[in-house]
This record gives sequence, C-alpha cells and structure tokens, in this order.
Amino acid sequence: MSEAVPPWAVVILPIALVSVAVVTVGFDAVLSAAAVRGRPGSLRELGFRAAAPLREVLRLLVQPSRRTTAADTALGRIGVVLVPVAAVLAGAVLPLGFRSLSDPTVGIVWFNAMEALAWAAVWLTGWGPNSALSLIGGYRFLAQGLAYELPHMFAITTAALGAESLQVGEVVAAQDGLWFAVWMPVAFFVYLLSAMAMSFWGPFGHPLGRDAAGGAAMELSGVDRLVFLGGRWLLMVVTAGVSVPLFLGGGHGPLLPAWAWTLVKTALVLAALVAGRRLLPTLRMERYTEFAWLVLVPATLLQALVVAVVVLNR
Amino acid sequence: MDLRSRLRRRAVQSPVVLVAVLPGATELRLDVEAELRRRGWDIAGAPAVADLLVVCGSPDPDVGRRLDTLRRAMPQPALRVDVSRPGRAAQALDEGLALLSERAASPSESASGHEDAGAGEHQAHSGSGSAPAEPGHGAPHGHEHQHPGHEAAGHTEQDAHGGHGGHDHHAMSTVAGLPMADRADDRDGLRLDRLLLPLGPVLADWPAGLILRCALQGDIVQEVRVDRLPGPPDGTSFWNEPWLRASRGEPVALGVGARRRCAAHLDSLGRLLSLAGWGDPAARLRRLRDEVLDGAPAGQCGERLRAVAGRVERSRTLRWGLAGLGRLPAERARRWGVTGPALEADGDVHDRLLVWLREARRAVRDFDDVRPLPAGELIGPRGTVGGSRPPSQALLDVLPELLAGAEFGCARLIVASLDPDVDESVAVSAGDGAHV
Repeated sequence: MSEAVPPWAVVILPIALVSVAVVTVGFDAVLSAAAVRGRPGSLRELGFRAAAPLREVLRLLVQPSRRTTAADTALGRIGVVLVPVAAVLAGAVLPLGFRSLSDPTVGIVWFNAMEALAWAAVWLTGWGPNSALSLIGGYRFLAQGLAYELPHMFAITTAALGAESLQVGEVVAAQDGLWFAVWMPVAFFVYLLSAMAMSFWGPFGHPLGRDAAGGAAMELSGVDRLVFLGGRWLLMVVTAGVSVPLFLGGGHGPLLPAWAWTLVKTALVLAALVAGRRLLPTLRMERYTEFAWLVLVPATLLQALVVAVVVLNR
Repeated sequence: MDLRSRLRRRAVQSPVVLVAVLPGATELRLDVEAELRRRGWDIAGAPAVADLLVVCGSPDPDVGRRLDTLRRAMPQPALRVDVSRPGRAAQALDEGLALLSERAASPSESASGHEDAGAGEHQAHSGSGSAPAEPGHGAPHGHEHQHPGHEAAGHTEQDAHGGHGGHDHHAMSTVAGLPMADRADDRDGLRLDRLLLPLGPVLADWPAGLILRCALQGDIVQEVRVDRLPGPPDGTSFWNEPWLRASRGEPVALGVGARRRCAAHLDSLGRLLSLAGWGDPAARLRRLRDEVLDGAPAGQCGERLRAVAGRVERSRTLRWGLAGLGRLPAERARRWGVTGPALEADGDVHDRLLVWLREARRAVRDFDDVRPLPAGELIGPRGTVGGSRPPSQALLDVLPELLAGAEFGCARLIVASLDPDVDESVAVSAGDGAHV
C-alpha cells in the first residue's frame, strides 16, 4: 500500500513533527492559561497566550546553561538529546496518508524499539546532574516503564495481529472499511494511555513531577531544557500520531485526501489528550503499576485472544 | 543595538521567577503571586529554571547569605529583588525586569553598578561579579545547601551532625568536595546508601520557612527532623490574624474571619493539588483565593468554588492516588494536640482535602455576616488560636511519625495535607540552629 517517498522527506519529517508539536503546545498553553488567569478577554489576548511556548523557546535559547557539582555532563547530555532523536526515529515509520519515510516489514517493532529509548533518555537525564531529586525523577520513569510497557506491547501486538503483519502500511491497508479502534477498543484505549506514559506527560508526568521540583528535568536550563522538553512534545506527537495508522484507519476516509485524513485524525487524538489531561491528577506508579498488571495486562491479553480467534476464522 | 542584544532583551520580557518566601511574609507572597499571574510570568519549580529570584520578606544577614547561595544556583545573570512591604510587588517586579533587560543588552558587563539600585524597601541585588556560576556553588542537590550529608553510625552520630551536616567530612571519602553518602540498614534490614537531604526552606508548593531534614534511602524517607527559618518575633500569622485580633478584644466581623478561613483553605488546597499533579483545579482555586481576599461577592465565590470543588470531590483518580497516605486517626491526632481540620478529618490525605473543601464552602455562606466573632470560640483555619501552643505546632510535631517510611512523593503530599504555617510562633527541637 505504501509508496516510495522522495529523499528530501528526510528533512521534511522533523520539520513537520516540530510544526505539529508547536501547535499542540500552543493549544495546551491556552488551556493552562484559562485555568490560571481566566477566560481571555479578546482574540488578541488568546493569540498572546497561544504564543507563550514560542516566547519560552526564545527565553531558553538565550539562557546560559548552568552546571552542577560533580555532574556527569556527558551522560546527562546524551539523555537530553536522546529524547528528540528517539521521537524523530520513531516517526520514520509514521505514514502521512499512505506514505511514510520508511515502511520496513517490522515497522511496528522499530517504532517500539525507538520509543523504548526514552527509558534510557529520562534515566540518564535524571542521573547526569548529580542531584538527588533529579535522580528520583529518573528512577520514577523506570518504574513507569515497568508499568506501561507490557500492556503497551500487547496493545500494538493486537493491531499487528488484526492485520497479520508488523508492517505499518499493511496495518493501515487492513483497516480499509473497519477501523481497528472499533473492534479492538481495549487495545486502543491502552495504547492512548501508554502514548502519554512513554512521553512522560500529563497524568504520567510523575518523573518530572512538581513534588520533586521538576524531577529529571529539575537541573536543566537553557538549551538543554529546550531540547529535553521540546523532545518530549515531539515524542508525544509521534506516539499519538502512530495511533492513527494502528487503530484509526490511517489515511482512509471519504472526500478528503489521505494526508488530510491523517492530519485531522492526529489533531483530534492530540486535542483529546491535551484537553483530557485536565481531568486527571498525576498517577503515581506505586498505585498505577498494580492496576497495569492486574487489570490492563489481562484485559489486553483477552483483547488479543478475541482478535486472534476472529483472524483465524476469517 | 545589534540583532543579538535585541533578541536577548526580547527573550527576558516574560521571565520565570523563583519565589523565596520568608516566615511572616505570607501577605507579600500572595501579592507577588497575584502580580505574577497578572503579568503571565511563570513561577519556577527549581532554581535552574529561573531568571529572577524574588524574595518576600526582610532577610537577616544569615538568611541573606543562604538566599545568595540559592541565587547562585540559578543560571546567569541570576538576579534578585526583594519585596519587603505590602503593595510593592509590582514595583519590585518592574525593577527585576529592568535589571534583566539591562543585563540582556550587555551580558558581559560587570555587575557592580547594579548594587542596591532601589533605595529603601526593596533592593535589587545583581550577580556577584561577572563570574559565571562556579561549579562549587552550583547547589548540586537542588535547593539551597542541599549537600548530601552522611551519617557515620547510629542516631547519636546523626544528631551530632545536625547542626552542620554535610560540611563535616570525617574520614569519609569525598567526591568534588562533597562527602559520599554513608550506609545504614533500610526498613528490610538491607544495608543501603543513606542520604541526608534538607527539604526547604525554599521549595515550590512548600510551607514557607519550613525545613525538613530527611534521611533518604533511595526515595524512601527514613527519618525526619523538623527545623525552620527564624520567624517574625510576634508570631502573627496572616491566616490567623482575625482570630488573634478577636482574642485581644478587638471587634472583628464574622465575615472577615470566614473570608480568611476560606482563603487559607484554598491556598492549602492549591498547594496539595499542585503537588498531586493536578494543575488545572489548583490554579483555579488559587485564583479564587485571591478573589476571596479581594472581597469578591459571596455569590460569585460560592458558585466558582462549587464548580471546582465538585470536580475535585468526585475525582476517583485523586481518591485512588491519595487514599491511605499519612493516616492520622482522630484519637492519635488528639494525643498530639492537633485541632482543626486535621483532627476533624480523622483519616488520610484525601480526607483532609475533603474537610478543607467542605469548610471552605461553608465559610462562603458567612462572608457577609457582620456579627462579631464570638470571643470564646477562636478556631482558625489550622485549629484553636490563642491557646498556649499555636495550632501548627501540633501539625509539625506529628510530621516525623507520619513521614517515616513514606516514599518521597508521598511525603510531600502528607506535608501539604497538613500544611503547617511556620508564620505562627512554632518552636523546633533545640540544638538545630538554622545553619546546615
């Protein structure tokens, strides 16, 4: 199903991801400002609030980085840089319409492998500055990984099972007609949870928690901070974006061209996550892990079983 | 002016501010928070994020030195302004902005020219010389003076360290001038690293001036000793003020007390919810707190409070996250001398949160009551005012017992759910002067 892309798409991919991330952060900033400062008085005010993340980018670009005593700068930097790198690499299998940068036969495994780099990234970032609260934040993400990763793998395996292929293009092709989200609702729901968990954002933001004064990101300033937090939004965009080919029919849809359907669906998923975040406090892993292992793992396994039976009888 | 300095100046137009609140400066903090919200400036969660340090209160020289250490943990130019009188917040922030712009335009300039730019109530301190942040001053463990201390063996040794923990190297190995953490038995009898980490006095969503000297193993709080920054000599707490005045025989309207109680609970709720990672209702409750103090009509306050409180009360996720933390049964609370909401809650962190919400909603009904506060019944937001012990004393006294064995994040939630007010003249155990 998927078609070859021109080589310059390699450059386009990061730019596209950053653009979507900027819009998402702007939307998030508007919602946050509404809670802090009330409804905006005018459209101009609304625009000003939406541009707050861009002002923050400029602020961080100008702000000098600072160092902490006996810091492991090299490892810390690797951790910071790894976040956007993992996001862009994972995005390589993300199709816009029916075209992606690359559509290997094990595309889903590639996505999962790149996303798992975040484990290393957050932990290294927490370790680097030689700071107690920062390290606590880093370790929190390891606990989080243990909680979300198994249900997440079963969820994406279910989608692959439904298409009888690990190739993202094939998964999209198998949804011409019925979206996987419709007949695999549990897998879709669990996938959305893990999309937030792997980008350590929203209800899964404990590794960067306010209670640990910013956790793994506590000691980051200037460009380091920009790369790390910006990378987190990229990761969020990519993981939310992958839910579209895996569960929401990719580019399939009436009237609009395939690429437009992909964008519309991605935007809706992101908007739902950003708005829905406001309904929930942060989940602490000492509580969530129990839920993940006792409820989500069996639920996703059952879902996979149902899908397997359907596929075998097809 | 070249493009680079123009960009630099533009970049500092909405700075992120680290707010350091000294005991007795609650009113100033509220001023500053309201002013920051009006401007849309963010409040930093840690020094690394901040451009500007805003000190609420008048630090004595000792505290001033500690604040300077904190300032040096910020990225350059690491500027500081002080707000020491009500109504000066806007002026101080303007001054901070002017300093930032000035430094942004000529980043390499020596700082000596800015010393005490504002005469009188608020001084603006700029960076100490033009030297970049020295590694040795980088406050490696976050907030001020958070050196990883160490403990040799047993409690006596640790107590002996109390006054100067972290600077006392003994024969321990050191790395970059910092002592390594020593080991001790953990709760399962394993020998694990034990890190002495003071929490506070400056920490986001933290009772101003409170210092908890924690022994951490991993992220488990093993032991806690309560300490504080020296407070105002008269021990007048902003939150208890109406009841203290009534106890002196001044006529105070019931409505004044109700507003203050409501605002105090909203302030505590904002802190607790913010730590629980639920910024949206936390921000709404804080905005409402300022409206209540500004004298907004009772009807409007009640309506807004109902909307947010309903959301918080109904949240099963929040209940799930907070249930079972910091359990303080009424019987045990009474034994420690706890009065007020923490006693009434008779339960865990979530129960205390519900009591605050309930009391805040009840207080709104009395906003317009002009009858005087009854002289006999002086129950402030944190308990009985005017007795021999301020209400927060008991809240501080139960802390070590409640925090021992708690995970770090849980410990923060437990402290926030009691929200002791260090503005009250609470005493801490002797022998722990404020200079670790």
